[in-house]
Amino acid sequence: MTTAARPAGRQRRGSSLAPSWQKGYLLASPALIAMIAILIYPLGYSFVMSFYRWDLASPSQYFVGLSNYRDTFNSLGFQQTLRVQLIFSFVTIAIEVVAGIGVAVLVNSKLRGLKLARTLLLVPPMIAPAVVGLNFRWLFNGQYGLVNAILRYLGLPEAPWLSDPNWALASVMIADIWQNTPLLVLLFLAGLQSLPQEPIEAAQVDGASPWGIFWHITLPLLRPVIMIVLMLRIIDTFRTFDVIWLMTQGGPGGATNLVTVNAYLLAFQSASFGHASAVSYIALFLSLIFLALLYGVPWMRRRLRRTS
Amino acid sequence: MSIRLTRRGFLGGSAAVIGGSTLAAPYIAQAQNADEIRALLITGGPLYPKYWEKVVADFTAKTGIKVKYDLLEFTPLTTKIVTLGAARSPLYDVFSTHTAQIDSFFNYFGPLNEYFTADELKDFYQVGVDYLVDPKTKNLAAIPRNMDARTQYYRSDVYAEHGLKAAVTWEDLVAVSQKLTGNGYYGLVVPGQGDPAQRTFSDYLWQAGGDWVDDQGKPAFNAAPGIEALTFYRDLIQKWKVVPPDAVSYQWNENSTQFSSGAVMDTFDWPGAFATLANPETSKVVGKWSTAPYVRNKTAISCAISHAMALNSMSKRKPPAVEFIKYTVSPEAQLLNFNEYSNFPSRLSVAKQVVSEATGAKAEWLAQLEQTIATGKEWPKLPGFSRVCTLMFSTIERALSNQQTPEEALNQAAAEALQIMTQAGAYN
Repeated sequence: MTTAARPAGRQRRGSSLAPSWQKGYLLASPALIAMIAILIYPLGYSFVMSFYRWDLASPSQYFVGLSNYRDTFNSLGFQQTLRVQLIFSFVTIAIEVVAGIGVAVLVNSKLRGLKLARTLLLVPPMIAPAVVGLNFRWLFNGQYGLVNAILRYLGLPEAPWLSDPNWALASVMIADIWQNTPLLVLLFLAGLQSLPQEPIEAAQVDGASPWGIFWHITLPLLRPVIMIVLMLRIIDTFRTFDVIWLMTQGGPGGATNLVTVNAYLLAFQSASFGHASAVSYIALFLSLIFLALLYGVPWMRRRLRRTS
Repeated sequence: MSIRLTRRGFLGGSAAVIGGSTLAAPYIAQAQNADEIRALLITGGPLYPKYWEKVVADFTAKTGIKVKYDLLEFTPLTTKIVTLGAARSPLYDVFSTHTAQIDSFFNYFGPLNEYFTADELKDFYQVGVDYLVDPKTKNLAAIPRNMDARTQYYRSDVYAEHGLKAAVTWEDLVAVSQKLTGNGYYGLVVPGQGDPAQRTFSDYLWQAGGDWVDDQGKPAFNAAPGIEALTFYRDLIQKWKVVPPDAVSYQWNENSTQFSSGAVMDTFDWPGAFATLANPETSKVVGKWSTAPYVRNKTAISCAISHAMALNSMSKRKPPAVEFIKYTVSPEAQLLNFNEYSNFPSRLSVAKQVVSEATGAKAEWLAQLEQTIATGKEWPKLPGFSRVCTLMFSTIERALSNQQTPEEALNQAAAEALQIMTQAGAYN
């Protein structure tokens, strides 16, 4: 009785739980067990693996400290991977955010046909990345692809979409931008529609230009949404795998080799799980650093402003 | 009755469920009849599933042992075995495997030496068996099921029209291919990505008189023959432009399809292509092609490898599993594999039989294959070399796509390869 009467929240260690909590735990337990078994445990296990020489070809596994991390950073292949990853993340996120805000502003206006446009925007994010990868592989096929066929028809020079290192990187970025920009449009659209109208109306009354309103009022108000979007996309670009694997397998010559592809090749072609785990954790740390910068820099700026 | 659930009890219970499931999972997976084994087998193309269906049915009829099997194509098959091997899984008793990746599995596959006598092994192509042996332990990790070697497949109708003969040397190959390139057609196709790129470079390396490692097992592929080989390979695509420019993204399937669709006039392909190209369901060039030996430079060496069968060292049903492996490499199964799918036998006795029975173009092709196998080689199976292979994929691709010169790419790879192999204990 006394336990039931206790306010929900804090329970003394070892004491029995309130029935409502018991029910809650029981209902949550299948999901929790699954989470621990398929997420937390492998995550911890692979972290441990990253400190071991864990090659399938070796008869035993042994502790090597930070050696796998050192090998990875010393590997010229990984240095190229890091370069490619940074270019991929920076360019795709920049284009997606700028295009996403632009299209969201357009879709938010009262033009004809925009309802249909909003519905169509749902299509790319709904398609599985594997399907997107296969489709773009065919679209960009040098001999039989639609894109080169159109260029040929227009009398323009064809492009070596997937066979030239620079074009290949551009191709996978196009596929990523095509798939993810619409989702960002929807997120920005939700943000735009939840903005308070008073400051905008006041600025209009004061005779501010549409660009001035957008730059000085809409965009600053939209900042929390932009931060969330940036966070999601940074995490996402460091996890991108399917589209790249299906379009180029990281090639030609590592030109589209993102960290996930690098880790996959190390694990499943070299059977070197220690190194693959190290690469995966480097990717995780890198995305955490970017997230820390994303949130830390404005926070530091605010603190400095306050102290000054 | 009320149940008292504490937070500690809940977390402890959850941990017990997870622990129990983890420990029980392998046993649940293995829970099957003693006269039933599980096999993970290779497939590829529309014909392979029928082959395994027949082999398994015949085996069960003869022995009463049931075989539950799953089929996967080459790359996903290797990936799956890597995953199972890392987990030391006993899920499958028998695996299809291949010389190319065997060194990754030396510690996962059970030794077959004790199941095959020296006399029995004498009936297999020596080169096929040699590269399936772990150089450190001398254990036979797998037994060859069919030999994999390549010959030249060319469009005899187009060649005749232009008064051309199949290329014999590297120079011929360039000259002939240049004459047949134009109007959307290409004189030649070679793969340029991943393992197929390494395989192609490897052939050119040997043909240029080089090898992967020197007498001490140190990387030697960046010596003059290696540079000559990679330069020739790159020039086919970038300088002479006799190969489709997308070739740097081609693997075996794309390579074969370019020829079977009629878009290119010449290629180097595996024995299975002989059946695929003759089948109207899989080829647009039926009756329009012939075969010739692989081209040569300083030597005529190319690879002689094999599809093989292996035993899981963790298997709890080794005797029936070995019985199945023995059946898949039996003369009966190899004859079926050759007659239906043109896969060349790994047994000398069966090879002799099929060669003696063949006539016309088939006899010529078999003679060419035998010639390739007789001089054929494979890259070394030294510790760490499987990681070197992955390194080579991107090295070769970088040179083929003009990101680096062949010399730069190979020197860089050789330095890293030495480090990898030293670390893996290749020189202990």
